[in-house]
Amino acid sequence: MNKKEARKWLFSIIAWGAAVVWFSPILWMLSTSLKPTLVATTERVPRWLPDPLTFANYQAIISPAVGAGLLQAFINSVLVAVASVLLLLLVATPAAYALSRLHFFGRNFIFWSYVVVLAFPGAIFLIPHFLIIKDIGLMNNLWALVLPGLGATFGVFLLRQYMLGIPRELEDAAWVDGCSRLRFLIFIVVPLIRPALGVLALMTFLGSWTSFLWPLLVLSTPDNFTMPLGLVRFTAGWGDPFRGIGPTMAGAFIAVLPTLIIFVLGHRYLMRGISLGAIGK
Amino acid sequence: MSSVASQVPFKRTLRAPLKRALREAGAFMFLLPHFALFVLFVVYPLGYGLFISFHRWTLLDPPRYVAWGNFVRIWGDARFWDAVMNTVVFAAISVPITVALGLLLALLLNQQLHGRLWLMVAFVSPVFFSSIGILLSWNWVLASFPAGLVNFYLMQAGLLTLPVSWFGTPASAWFWIIVITVWWIVGFGTLLFLGALQKIPPEQYESAMIDGAGAWARFQHITLPWIRNVLIFETVRQVILAFGLFDQVFILTGGGPGGATRTMVLYMYQMGFDRQQLGLAAAISWYIFIVIILFGLIQLAFIARSVRSAED
Repeated sequence: MNKKEARKWLFSIIAWGAAVVWFSPILWMLSTSLKPTLVATTERVPRWLPDPLTFANYQAIISPAVGAGLLQAFINSVLVAVASVLLLLLVATPAAYALSRLHFFGRNFIFWSYVVVLAFPGAIFLIPHFLIIKDIGLMNNLWALVLPGLGATFGVFLLRQYMLGIPRELEDAAWVDGCSRLRFLIFIVVPLIRPALGVLALMTFLGSWTSFLWPLLVLSTPDNFTMPLGLVRFTAGWGDPFRGIGPTMAGAFIAVLPTLIIFVLGHRYLMRGISLGAIGK
Repeated sequence: MSSVASQVPFKRTLRAPLKRALREAGAFMFLLPHFALFVLFVVYPLGYGLFISFHRWTLLDPPRYVAWGNFVRIWGDARFWDAVMNTVVFAAISVPITVALGLLLALLLNQQLHGRLWLMVAFVSPVFFSSIGILLSWNWVLASFPAGLVNFYLMQAGLLTLPVSWFGTPASAWFWIIVITVWWIVGFGTLLFLGALQKIPPEQYESAMIDGAGAWARFQHITLPWIRNVLIFETVRQVILAFGLFDQVFILTGGGPGGATRTMVLYMYQMGFDRQQLGLAAAISWYIFIVIILFGLIQLAFIARSVRSAED
């Protein structure tokens, strides 16, 4: 083994050791979710490998009796996240196209307004959003979780940054061929910016999936709860927070799992998107 | 085209502006759907929020104009200043740790390693997890009865004789809120720094090695200048994020013990939705805005530069 290879192994061992410790709260969550609650709360020495191993906690949270709507909360979370992603892509793509390639009165003013609000803290929107949603009658409605986010400018900004990289000549060629702006956007621009659309879709999905404070304000009945709210209610339902720790950890793991899968599959996209938002090229 | 136009100057002068206006209107149609949502959910709320903050606004009685009354009341509210102090101290401690650790992890992950993807999953993926999911898990890890993992291992090591209720005293509550927050969000910076590190040309390190530069010198003179901008960007982003601290204190401590972990956003939430004083809550939100506007401006400068770099 040469020196380089030895160095690689040394660093790997250190990194893996640190990684296992770092990830242990999630591993412990998974481990607990596979134990009967009584075992989890009474074992004298923590057992990382559950014995006996049981899937009863997962069955319990899916069942209407114990789950108390956690399955519905999962479905609601998926619905809200998917609707947020699709609608945002639908409105942000043409907007980014208009702000990067088309010309109209006030374009620069609007674009810089879009940029300026990127720096505003979310807190100042909370109270007015709450009252607007109340005024338009969407309290305790899942649309209340989708709509306010569609006005956010980050997605438009991200897509515009990416569209600026499309060569001008392509557009000129399309013009000569008599291609309309809409057709050009759909058949030429959209395929070219697929990576940026992917990034935006991932970030929007993650943002929607993990959102807590806003759903807490506007949703009031359990049948409309999203996963984070459902979990908080589910935990509170046991009185003593650890009396239902088995099913609670199962629910928490279900809440974390989709984002874990997204990260494993899409980490390259996420890295690119984060850099694109921060430093342009 | 221009020769044709010069043959019929009269027609051109009449039609051209109209055609242009139509073309511009057509172009604006692409923006319109998003722009309408932008006006409804960004522009209008800004004005509305300001309007609310000048009124006594509860959900029961009709709003009453109180001029600067809400701002004055919040200014004289000791609880508010405690919340400001809590948030500032939290930011001052957690942001440097988050940024430094994020950089350290990025440097580690930038090495030749076995199973790098899975190391990334361990260190980075938590930032994308649901706050509630991970907070419930941490709550369980820190449990005092029955003894959670932390209490168990500390007792094993002989550092504790009895399980500790970690959220019982302000100091230990803050300690764990900071640990959990850093653990949760450090991955974003790691990902950002990793992207920047991978852009550094390897030749620079090679020639520095030939010149006999040590590891620290190479970091200082090559790595740091290359990633400086990302480093500042991430620091500013973390500061703004830290001032929004809510989920952790809401779930783990509820602001206790005795308001010691109450943050600005938590206080705004309690004012607006527990006490139903939306006017006062809106006033708090503008104070939050004022506190972090400086960082917002730095962030804007960065965004403006990235816009320029993409436009070139």
